Formats: sequence, structure tokens, C-alpha cells
Amino acid sequence: MNFAATLGLALPIGIGLAAIGSGIGLGFMGRGAMEAMGRQPEVLPKIQVAMIIGFGFIEALTIYAFVTMFFLQGKIQ
Amino acid sequence: MWMSWLAALALAGLLLPRTPGAALAIVAGQSLMAINFFFLDKLVKLFTHAMAPRTGNRQIPGRFFAFATLKVLLVYGGAFALIRTRAVPFLPLTCGLSLLLLVLFLQSLMRAAGYAASPFARRAPQTAATSGNAAKLAAFFFTLALLAAPVLAHAGDTATQAAPVQLAQHDPAQPTTPANPETATQSEAAATAHAHGEAGAEHAEGGEAHLPNWIVILNDYFPDNPVVHWMHENEYLVFAWLAGLVFLVFTWIAMRKPTLVPGTLQNAIEWIVESMEDVCGGMLGKHLPKYFPFIMAIFFYILTMNLIGIIPGFKSSTSTLDVTLALALITFLYVQINGIINLGPLGYLDHLAGSPRDIVGFAMLPVMIPVHILGELVKPVSLSCRLFGNIFGEDTLIVVFVGVAALALKASLTALAVPPMAGITALFMLLQTLTAIVQALIFSLLTTVYLYMMLPHEEHAHGEAGHEHA
Repeated sequence: MNFAATLGLALPIGIGLAAIGSGIGLGFMGRGAMEAMGRQPEVLPKIQVAMIIGFGFIEALTIYAFVTMFFLQGKIQ
Repeated sequence: MWMSWLAALALAGLLLPRTPGAALAIVAGQSLMAINFFFLDKLVKLFTHAMAPRTGNRQIPGRFFAFATLKVLLVYGGAFALIRTRAVPFLPLTCGLSLLLLVLFLQSLMRAAGYAASPFARRAPQTAATSGNAAKLAAFFFTLALLAAPVLAHAGDTATQAAPVQLAQHDPAQPTTPANPETATQSEAAATAHAHGEAGAEHAEGGEAHLPNWIVILNDYFPDNPVVHWMHENEYLVFAWLAGLVFLVFTWIAMRKPTLVPGTLQNAIEWIVESMEDVCGGMLGKHLPKYFPFIMAIFFYILTMNLIGIIPGFKSSTSTLDVTLALALITFLYVQINGIINLGPLGYLDHLAGSPRDIVGFAMLPVMIPVHILGELVKPVSLSCRLFGNIFGEDTLIVVFVGVAALALKASLTALAVPPMAGITALFMLLQTLTAIVQALIFSLLTTVYLYMMLPHEEHAHGEAGHEHA
């Protein structure tokens, strides 16, 4: 198993793992936000903003994996 | 004005060791344009003075014609002579000529942002004063950004040599990395020569793929034109400027005649600005007017750059790390400088140390200081990577779908390929719109959060500052 093959195997798996983690995080975040909104509809805008920012942070983790993949993709040849 | 001089001198200084001719040309172009503006200023003043109804006599004074003649002789004659005699290289001269225009353009852009920040009819007076100053600052930062982009790209060149990853998929493709003007001049001849020779063929299987935009097409038709070539080398810059221009024109159209009962466009802009004001105001409180123009400028600029990529034939400038990193570095500098101003040098150090107040806090100092510094340094990286990754990812998705459709077309499977692929692409374009808005929002909101953390607050917990957004 040479370097390129290892990379070619590891990059998709890495992205998948990152996506799983982010998905779990998004799920928790969304559940919390939805419950809060359902309980107190009057603070809906505040919750929404915080939720979107949180989504941004969580989503960024997958994006980091994605960017890493693109940086390393050129080496698979 | 002085900023463009600063930029011109900095650029000239940068170029001086290697190509003194180019440095000279930049300064020459800059001074030529400055003279031009001086005369324009005089002419317009004289003309409007003569035309003003209260002066009664509609006579244009003789001085007007004298100035006009002088201007034509000096500016156009000078430019003609410079170009004709080939005393200076062409590209740097154009650079110098455009610098002043660029600065003016950016200034007006930021003015517009400051303008938009105050829905005039309601609270123009109180924000007008602050927005002017902030607009100047923001304009300066954006000039820096646009200057930083090519420089960073140049630094990126060395990085990409290790992993050559850029090509256009469908065209005989040219290197798409934006190079700075310096490289453009030096390698102009060489680059033009192998622009067509060095096809994407050998790289086409791996790395990024881009859809061709109108600059690529233009470059195919006029491969030898230096201006087109420069535009092609720096297409991200061109699209960034285009985005600024689009935003400026849009704001101008919307806010040209502000009315108390807003029309459609004005209403839209006021809605955006006011909802952002609510969100940011919740965090910044009474400091809002000071920072709001900068935040909104960032927001609108990124939003326009993101959205422009959805139009076929255009490209999001934010889909390159150079532009996003420049934006993030500006935000970083802005936040840090404001932190030093707000907290004072000592307070800033205290903030970096995690505000130790008890014996445990002081004992933890050697650990806390590196952690906090790292936390600050990670901010621009995460900001830029997030924006770049999202926009670039969406772009790549579209490229992949279009590529599949193109493959099927090649195999003459039109009926099979085009309708579903068009549908999927349209769907993902909708998603792209959403991403564009959300990412612009996130970038500006994070800027707000970072600014908020640098405010002298008694109640907010310093301990979180380092880790929260790493």
C-alpha cells in the first residue's frame, strides 16, 4: 500500500467521519433550538440567530475536512 | 487621495529592487491621474459655479477654457507621450492610473455602505457623522484587502507549485492562480507563449475544476492582449471589483431618492440593514454606530461576491482562499486594533492573559497566554476557511453536475442527460443562494462577536474568549 493509495482511501473516509460528527452536532443543535422555539416563540429571532451562528461553526468542521481533501487531492496520482 | 499615494509608493517600493522601470511607471501613472483629478475638480467647480442659477449671468469664465486646455495638454499629452515613447512599461502605468480611481471607487463604496446603514429619512443625522469616519477606515481596509489579495496569491504560487491543483475543465486551460502585477509583467511574454501550450490535459484528472467564465472566453479570443491577459491572470480580483461595483450601483439605485414611505428596493435594503442592526445591536449595544458600517460593508461585499458566482459566466471571488484570507485578516486587524483602543494597551494584555484576578489565575498565566494568543490567531484561519470552503464546495458541486451533463451530451444522450441534470443544477443553485446569504451573515456576525469580545464589559466572561470560536 503506497502513499497515494493510502491517501485515496483515507480522504473520503475522513470526510465521511467529519460529516457524521457534524451531522450529530447539527442534530443536537437543531433539536435544542427547535425545543426552545417551541417553548418560547417570543424569543424566536434571537434563537434563530444563535442557531445559525452555531450551524456555521459546526458546519465548518466538515468544511475543514473538505478543504483538506482538496489540498491533498493533487497528490493522488 | 493620500491613501492611493501610499499604495502607489508601497507598490513602487515593492517593485523597485527588481524592475525600476515598473516602479517609475506606477508613480508616473499615479501622478498623471492626480493631475487629471486636480484639473477635473477645478473644471467642475468653475462650470457649476457658472451654471448656478443665482449667479445670473450664464457666462463660462475664461479660466475654464484655460484650465481645460492645460488639462488636455498635460494629462492626455503626457499619457500619450509616455505610451508612445515606450519610456515605461505598459502594465504598471495602467496600474498607477487605476490606483487612484480604485481608491476613490472604494471610498464611495464604503460611503454607500455607511449611507445604507442609516435609512436616511429616519435617523440620518446621528449616524451621518460617525459613518463618515468609519467609512474612511473601512475604505482603507478594503484597499488593503484588494492589495493584499495579489500579494497573497503570489505567496500562494510557491505553495501551489508543490501541489499543482488548478485548471479549467472545459477549456484549453490557463493557470488560474491570480498573480500579482509584478509577475504579470515579468512573465508576460512567457505566459502568453505557453498559455495555450500548457493545456490542462496533464492535470485535468485531478484537482479543482472551474467552469469557464467570460474572462476565460475573452482570453481565448484575444490571447495576446495584455489587458485581457492580466484580467485572466487576476480574474478573482476582477470579479471582486465587479462585485463591489454591482453592490455600489445597486445601493445607489435603491437609495437615490430616499422617501419616507420606501419603494421596493429601498424597502429591501432598509429591511436588510435594519434586521442586521437589530442583531448586531443586541451584542454591541451603544458601540453599534462605530462598528456598524464596517460590519455592513463586509456583509454586503461578501454577499455580492457570493451571489455573483451563481450567474453563469461569472465566478465567486470568495471561492479562492486568497480573497477570503485577505478579508479575514482585515477583520482580524480591525478587531485587534479596536481591542487595543477600547481596552487600552494594559487592558488588552490583561485580556490576552485571561484577566487573572486571583492566585489561581496568576498561577495559570504561562498556560493561558499561549492559549489565548492561539485562540486569536485561529480566528482568521477559521473565518477564511469556512467562507472559502462553503462557496468553493457549492461551486464544485455545480461544476460536477454540469460536467456530467456535458459528458452525456458528448455521448449524445441528450434526452437522458439534460432535463434531470438541469433540474438538479437548478436545485443546487437554490441551495447555493442560501449558502451565499448564510455565509455572508456568519462572517459578519462573527466579526460582531469578535468585536464584542474586545469591548470593555464587566459581565461577559473573558475565559471563554479563547476557546469558544477556535
